[in-house]
Amino acid sequence: MNVFGRGFDSRRLHNAASIIEINDRDKLYKLRRGIPKLTLAFSVIFLFLSIFSAPQSQPILKISAQDYEKYSRVTIQSDLPLSSSVEQSDTFVFVKIRANTPFRIQRESFQSRFVKSVGWSRGSGSYMLTINTEHENFSCNSFKVQNPPRLIIEIHPNRGQDPPINETNRNMTNPQTVDPECIVIDPGHGGLEVGAKGKFGTLEKDITLAIGMKLAEIARQTRASNVVLTRDRDVDISLEDRSAIANNNKATVFISIHVNGSYRKGAAGPETYFLSKDATDEESRRLAFMENNSKEMENNIQAEDEDLIKMILWDMAQTAYLKQSSQLAEAIQSELNLLWGTRNRGIKQAPFKVLTGVACPAVLVEVAFLSNPQEERKLLTEEYQRKIAQAVYDGLAKFLRDNSR
Amino acid sequence: MDKKKLVILAALLLFLVVLVIIYLNLGGTIKPRPTQFISSSQDESESEKQNESTTIILFFPSEHDSLLHREEREIIPESSLALHAKRIISELLNGSQRGFLSPIPPGTRLRELYITKEGVAYVDFSREIMDKHLSGSSAEMSTIYSVVNSLSYNIKTIKKVFILIDGGEKKTLGGHINLTSPFQPIYDIVAK
Ligand SMILES: [Zn+2]
Repeated sequence: MNVFGRGFDSRRLHNAASIIEINDRDKLYKLRRGIPKLTLAFSVIFLFLSIFSAPQSQPILKISAQDYEKYSRVTIQSDLPLSSSVEQSDTFVFVKIRANTPFRIQRESFQSRFVKSVGWSRGSGSYMLTINTEHENFSCNSFKVQNPPRLIIEIHPNRGQDPPINETNRNMTNPQTVDPECIVIDPGHGGLEVGAKGKFGTLEKDITLAIGMKLAEIARQTRASNVVLTRDRDVDISLEDRSAIANNNKATVFISIHVNGSYRKGAAGPETYFLSKDATDEESRRLAFMENNSKEMENNIQAEDEDLIKMILWDMAQTAYLKQSSQLAEAIQSELNLLWGTRNRGIKQAPFKVLTGVACPAVLVEVAFLSNPQEERKLLTEEYQRKIAQAVYDGLAKFLRDNSR
Repeated sequence: MDKKKLVILAALLLFLVVLVIIYLNLGGTIKPRPTQFISSSQDESESEKQNESTTIILFFPSEHDSLLHREEREIIPESSLALHAKRIISELLNGSQRGFLSPIPPGTRLRELYITKEGVAYVDFSREIMDKHLSGSSAEMSTIYSVVNSLSYNIKTIKKVFILIDGGEKKTLGGHINLTSPFQPIYDIVAK
C-alpha cells in the first residue's frame, strides 16, 4: 500500500477494519434472530415514525432576497454550516455550496430591484445557485453570519449607465481587442489585514500601498490608458472584491503588489508569481460538473444557452490566461532581478486566492522580503519604492508591447 | 393478514431500516467519521507486533534555503489511518529535532483530523495557526506544504489535504494562499 516502502503499513489497518465490519454484521445477525416480538413491534413503530419524520430532518436551504436603499441582499440560510464560494460574472452571481447530503430548497418569493431571479441546480457534492441581476454593471460582496448559519450576498449596482445587454463587446475571450487598455493595480492587504510585519514594525499593507500608488502614477503619466487602483487608502477590501474590480473594469492586466515574509531571516529578493495549475484543477472539475448537469441547469435556470456557455468560460478565465500570465510574470521578474541584482531567480506558481477569479493576465509581485531587516530598511525609502514601481512598470510595458498587434 | 405474515413483514422492514442506517453511517454523511474504526480496533493492535517502530518523514523549512527538508523519525505505528495522520501532525507541531525551522505558529493545536473515502484529509487546526501567523506568502507556503507534504508522503491513501481552522473553512492564513480548495503535495520544493 505504501509506495515509499519504509513508512506506514496501511494494509494491516484495512484488515483490522474489515474484521470489525464482520464482527458488526455478526452482531446484527444475532440481534435480528434473538429479538423479542415486542421489540419488533416497537421497531415497526419506530420505522414508520422515522419514515414520516425523515423529510423534516433533511437540512433546509432557505433562499430569500430583500432590497435596501442602495443595494439588494440575498440571504441563504441553512441548518448546517455553509461551505461556499461566490463568483460574479456578467449579469450573474454564482454561488457554489458544498453539500454531501441533499438539501430541501425553500425559495421565498420576493420583489427586488437588483435581484431578478434565483435559480439552483444540484451536482455531486454541491449546489449551484444562480442569482440573475440583469445588471451588467454591479459589484457584489458576500459574508457569513452564524446562528443560524447564513451566507449573505450583497448586490450593489454601480453608478452610470448600464450598457445595452446584446452588444458585441460581451465576448469575454478576448476583451483587449475591443476594449481600451485598462491596467488594474492591487496594493495587497489594507485596514485590519496588515500582511507581513518587519523587524522595525513596518507593515506590508503600507509598503504595498506606497509602491502601488507610485506604479499607478508612472503608468498614468506614461501611457494613455485607464489605470485603476483596487485601493488608494488604508482600507479593508476582500480578495474577491479585488478580482471583481479587475473584471468589472475589463482589465487588460492585473498586478497585485505584495511584500514577502518568511520564517527564514536570510530570505531575500523579489519573486513574481502566477496562479498554479493545482488551483485551476478545481475549476476544471467544476466545468465537468456543469457539463454533467447541463440538462438540469437548462431546466432550472431561465437563461439562454449563450449565457450558460459564457458562464463556463468565465469559470475557466484564469486558466485561459495562464500562459500570458507567465509571460507577464517573466517580464516583471527580469526587471526586478536587474534592480535588486538577483541573478537568475525564476518565476513561481502558487495558488494565490486573489488571482483565481481574475479574467485577464494576472500576477502577484513579491517585491522583496519584509522579514529581512536589510530589505525592510530599503523598502522604507521613497527612492526604493519608486525604483521598484519603475521596474514593475518596465516589465508591464514590455509585456504590453509584445502582446499588442 | 395473519400474525405470522405481519411479523415477517415487520422483520423485513426492520432489516431494511438496519441496512439504511448502516448505509447512512458508512457513507454519504456530511462529516466523515474516522472514529468508526479508531475505537473498535484497540484490541486488534494489541495482538499485532506492538513494539515494532516505523519511520515517518516530516518536512520542515530550513534557514539555509527556501526548500522543505526531510526529517526522519521513528514512531510506534498507530492503529488507524486517522490516528497515524494525527500523530504525524503532532510530530510536526512539536518541531524539528535537527534544527530546522518550525513552520506552524507556537500554540497551534490540532483540533480534529479525518480522512474521507475519496482520500481527502481534513486537518482542523486551532485559531493560532491564523492569528499568530507571520503572514507573508513564503511563510504561508511553508506552513501549508509542510502539512500537506508530510501527510501525503507518509500516507499514500491521502491524495489531497484540506486545511480547516477552528472547525471551519477559511479563505487564507494571512491574505495569500487559497485555503478554500484542497492541496495536492508539491515535491519540487523539497531539498534533494
Ligand atoms: Zn501580502
